[in-house]
Amino acid sequence: MKPAMTSDYKDIDFNQLKRGGFIKQQGPDLFVMRLRSIGGYLTSQDLENIARLARKYGRGEVHLTTRQGVEIPGVRLADYRELIAEIENLQLLPGACGPRIRSIVGCPGREVCPNGVVDTQAMARQVDQAFFGREVPAKFKIAIAGCPNACTKPRENDIGLQGVVYPQLVVDRCSLCGLCQFICPGGAIKIIDGRVTIDRQKCCGDGACVASCPTGAWTAGARGFVLYAGGKMGRRPRLGDRMFNLIPEDGVIPRINSVLQVFIKYRQGNERLADTIERLGSGGFRELILSLSREEVAAGGRE
Amino acid sequence: MAGNRATKRLDITGDCCPITFVKTKLALEEMQPGEILEVLLKDGDPLANVPRSLKDEGHRILQVQQVNSDTYLLIVERGKGE
Repeated sequence: MKPAMTSDYKDIDFNQLKRGGFIKQQGPDLFVMRLRSIGGYLTSQDLENIARLARKYGRGEVHLTTRQGVEIPGVRLADYRELIAEIENLQLLPGACGPRIRSIVGCPGREVCPNGVVDTQAMARQVDQAFFGREVPAKFKIAIAGCPNACTKPRENDIGLQGVVYPQLVVDRCSLCGLCQFICPGGAIKIIDGRVTIDRQKCCGDGACVASCPTGAWTAGARGFVLYAGGKMGRRPRLGDRMFNLIPEDGVIPRINSVLQVFIKYRQGNERLADTIERLGSGGFRELILSLSREEVAAGGRE
Repeated sequence: MAGNRATKRLDITGDCCPITFVKTKLALEEMQPGEILEVLLKDGDPLANVPRSLKDEGHRILQVQQVNSDTYLLIVERGKGE
């Protein structure tokens, strides 16, 4: 049974409401409460709490969103204040809707996935802390993948980060077993006349050689993220353009910031980043990013 | 050739993940540290994944030979663990 409507239910904190996550659904006086995860992880305690909230305020069911969030449908406006207070209390995280930076999607990353070459979860937490919920001219989605398999579809997002590692050979550890030349996805490694060679143009940064090398001869040279920008789905889908080939972990937040600054400055109307980049050209957009001053990038940080 | 010292041979060319690795792991568990296992496997996922997982468990790939266009022979030395 639904709790009875309290008399002061119209006394709603609009600032709270404005932050998003409470979305009108089909049917009179019915709303969806959207919760987010960071990079797709929820604790078992979170899950228990969400289950309880769904029973108490909704219909005892949840919907899993495409951005790794959990929505509770069937919530009444009268219950909003009480629900949001409980959410805060339980340290659950409300999601976003409208022209804001949406939940950060992330794969498990190298902690769990054998293919992962970067810590996507730590990066997801950093990006969430720096950007989540920020008001921008149009909805803005960020996804993080731990390797070039790109399971979280970084190129379908306004900004996509994808982990890469470029290998370095320690020659005297190499046993010439031959494994790396057979597994290199780009066909970059060849053993010629008893010498291991690598064609850097063909290296995709998968780190397969580093992960598999039996003697540890292949080591991680440079590790970081590729940044794609300007992806979106919907009616006119567009894959993001490869804007930066290797951003070290500590350079990612300023780089995202600079993409946002150029977008905010040059967008027309409420177009998505994809449209702005299409209009200015990928190269042109990139030039504008590089010409931003350090101050402009810093000023784009969280207020 | 390391292959001549092999005490066991395993053919996982008809298997796919995760059976490929599980069979290899179980075969190695029945062997003594330092013994040699030969594993016949297909390229693609098996070749990309099985050697990496073996390394993770402390075994050592001594040699990889291409047998034909899509089949490889791994020569594995059983590690000291377990």
